[in-house]
Amino acid sequence: MKEQFPARMLRIHFGEDDRWQGKPLYEAIVARCKELDIAEVIVFRGIEGYGSGSRIRRSGHWSFSKDAPIQLSIIDTEERLEALIPFLDETIEEGLVAASPVEVIRYSRTQA
Amino acid sequence: MLQPGKAVKVTIYLSEGATHHGVPVYSSILDFLFYRGVSGATVTRGVAGFGADHHMHSLSSVEISDRLPIKIEFIEAQEKADSLLGKLEELSGTALIEIQETTVVKPAQLSKAAKPVHSTHLKIEGKAQMMRIYLSEEDRWQNKPLYEALVEAMRANDIAGVTVYRGILGYGAHRRMHKDKPLLSSHHGSVMLSAIDTAEKLQAILPIVDQMVQEGLVVFSDVDIIKYAYRPEVSE
Repeated sequence: MKEQFPARMLRIHFGEDDRWQGKPLYEAIVARCKELDIAEVIVFRGIEGYGSGSRIRRSGHWSFSKDAPIQLSIIDTEERLEALIPFLDETIEEGLVAASPVEVIRYSRTQA
Repeated sequence: MLQPGKAVKVTIYLSEGATHHGVPVYSSILDFLFYRGVSGATVTRGVAGFGADHHMHSLSSVEISDRLPIKIEFIEAQEKADSLLGKLEELSGTALIEIQETTVVKPAQLSKAAKPVHSTHLKIEGKAQMMRIYLSEEDRWQNKPLYEALVEAMRANDIAGVTVYRGILGYGAHRRMHKDKPLLSSHHGSVMLSAIDTAEKLQAILPIVDQMVQEGLVVFSDVDIIKYAYRPEVSE
């Protein structure tokens, strides 16, 4: 099945060491997205970068990181993403959220 | 799409055992034709034959049965066939390629029309589009990772730039949670492929993406290309 619709993409940047209620912040945000039934979420670990506060973030050797830059990319309709904003406001202490309009095609195996 | 009237039939004769980078040559050629939106192609295996080396290969000679003759045929408009020939010659190595003029009486019927794919390597600046495709790392197409097949398909269509990213966590259209496993077992991850080119060229390969992606999300956004510099390939 193929559907096409206008949507919005959020890109959220912060550090891998950022935590919320004891677990990594990115895990908390992904879990919240899942609760809100948001369509697509993917988390990337960058190899180097800096953000608000201008501290350089770098991945360490292996996967034992030294506050690597993290980018979440979240896609859904504007209304759905709107529901996520209060959670982001509450959990992100230092970071950046960028939104852009996108056009989406969704392929799924489930029959309509 | 193939129209009734004048066209050419291209036939490539090779041996079944011929490989290129460990993959049978006929299957790389077939993939290439598919990626470039050729209307149809058929691979036929002969029961016996001989080629330039003048060795007879037949089913009965067990020890060399992987050298049976293979024939790939497709019918296309002259211009389209011409645009494919350079790459075909490169892919087919020592094979014989033949072209004959033919007449299409009735093209095969499609359930939905596919747009032809144009392939000029333009210099692009200014308005362009970014296409992001979200997939699972374990998605496969024709026995290879889907993301890899998509990169090949885009490369065959001269899409300006393509990068594949592996996510550390995520879920997608298929609603399964992907989490990066520690150390070596890095399968089952979320993967994002990002491709940048003009809107027309990205739209042109969409019918091919349609056929290859069973589950996933394709996201388009407008971008401005500030700089596009590439080293032309050195020929000679």
